[in-house]
Amino acid sequence: MDCREFQELISEAVDKRLHTPTFRNFTAHAGVCPSCRNEFEMELLTKSVLHAKVQRQSVPNNVYKSLQSAAEKLRPSSRNWISALFGETFLNPAVALVALVLVAVGAVSLLQKNNAIPISSGKNIIAQSLNNYSAAMTGALKPTLVSHDPGDIKDYLANGTTFEVSVAALNDCDWCGGILSEIDGVRLVHVVYKIGGEGLLYVYQVDMKEALRGDKVGLPENAIASLEKTGWYFEQTPDLCNVVLWKHNNTLCAAVSKIGRDKMIALLSEKDPW
Amino acid sequence: MFPVFLTVLNPARGLHTEFEREAIPHSDILYNYALRMTGNADDARDLLQETFLKAFRFWDKYEKGTNVRAWLFRIMKNTYINVYRKAVKEPDTVDYNDIQNFYNVIRESSADANDLQEKLFGHLLDDDVTKALEDLPEEFRTVVILCDIEGLTYEEIAEFVECPVGTVRSRLHRGRKLLYAKLFEYAKKRGFVGKD
Repeated sequence: MDCREFQELISEAVDKRLHTPTFRNFTAHAGVCPSCRNEFEMELLTKSVLHAKVQRQSVPNNVYKSLQSAAEKLRPSSRNWISALFGETFLNPAVALVALVLVAVGAVSLLQKNNAIPISSGKNIIAQSLNNYSAAMTGALKPTLVSHDPGDIKDYLANGTTFEVSVAALNDCDWCGGILSEIDGVRLVHVVYKIGGEGLLYVYQVDMKEALRGDKVGLPENAIASLEKTGWYFEQTPDLCNVVLWKHNNTLCAAVSKIGRDKMIALLSEKDPW
Repeated sequence: MFPVFLTVLNPARGLHTEFEREAIPHSDILYNYALRMTGNADDARDLLQETFLKAFRFWDKYEKGTNVRAWLFRIMKNTYINVYRKAVKEPDTVDYNDIQNFYNVIRESSADANDLQEKLFGHLLDDDVTKALEDLPEEFRTVVILCDIEGLTYEEIAEFVECPVGTVRSRLHRGRKLLYAKLFEYAKKRGFVGKD
């Protein structure tokens, strides 16, 4: 064995992977070549130091809980299996009863969760959006799920709505987060984007039909007219909050941010890849 | 009882249960890898969570019966590359010849590795070793973590990083050499060995 062959086998020798004949040749060379032997010993030493000084860690409890919580959020909607439950005629009625009780308990907790989200401000979608933006800025409105991948948020939100959800892969976006809520029986979606160095961009989403009906949520007439005419509506508040409304298929989206208006429009004009 | 019952009723729910059963048990190895790659517990937690979210989204793409740990690991590695590495300035490229020269100098100045261990590394702090590991270029760091900390076989590492076993062997060799050089620097800075 020469020095080159020895060098190639050092790692395997350190990790005790060499078969006996090769190992004999390896040690024979180490015996006559101090330089190679030294290199082998250095690698052995490095491995042992690493093993002794870098301890493996268990997943901390809070991380494990956050994992479980994230997994929980991705569970298929309870509505799907309620319908499946009623669709199965062979079910033992007792089992079905147990299932229904559990569904009821789950529904109550979901309802409580939805009510906890601080969204109000009358029917006006623009006012609601501005309030929610402020709440997001102060931390009062926290995304239920946050990810670097908009696809994760889209999946989560789409699971809880009947209208099409828009979650875009925006340039310079550090992360995005999603929240599902309900106001007077109307499902709402909230997406918060953290734009690097620019602050937050908040987007409120609701079924367009609900927005136009105006029973529980609604828009000012000038906003509806502009949306119908151009597909967009812009407004700026005295404290320089920009509000942009647009239609995404059957969904009304209302974005609020203090990001400059041009930058905001440029961001929102990027194609939604999802 | 109840989850099994739901599995029968709802295939999607069944997938979720299957995912929890197959994937979640590997969270320890993934978390440790994330910790060593990102260098802090918060980013490691986020990386782990994101990995599982992605894995769940693409669970139908996972080929049953193949190595789920390797599959999860690849998702984590790609997520790390796409998200976390962007935020961190890449370390300067290592000139492998410099390392070789360094080795030649060490060889001349000391011939007894046991003595070296006593002199150089015995008093190094755990943090020094962790930092030295974090400073390794990514391709070397990954194989060193998987082999020397997680105890994976070369074959499994090759499957994880999708390269031949020979490449794993050579990356390990070079990675450990680089690590040795960094540990030596730390030992020098801390005065455990002479500056000359």
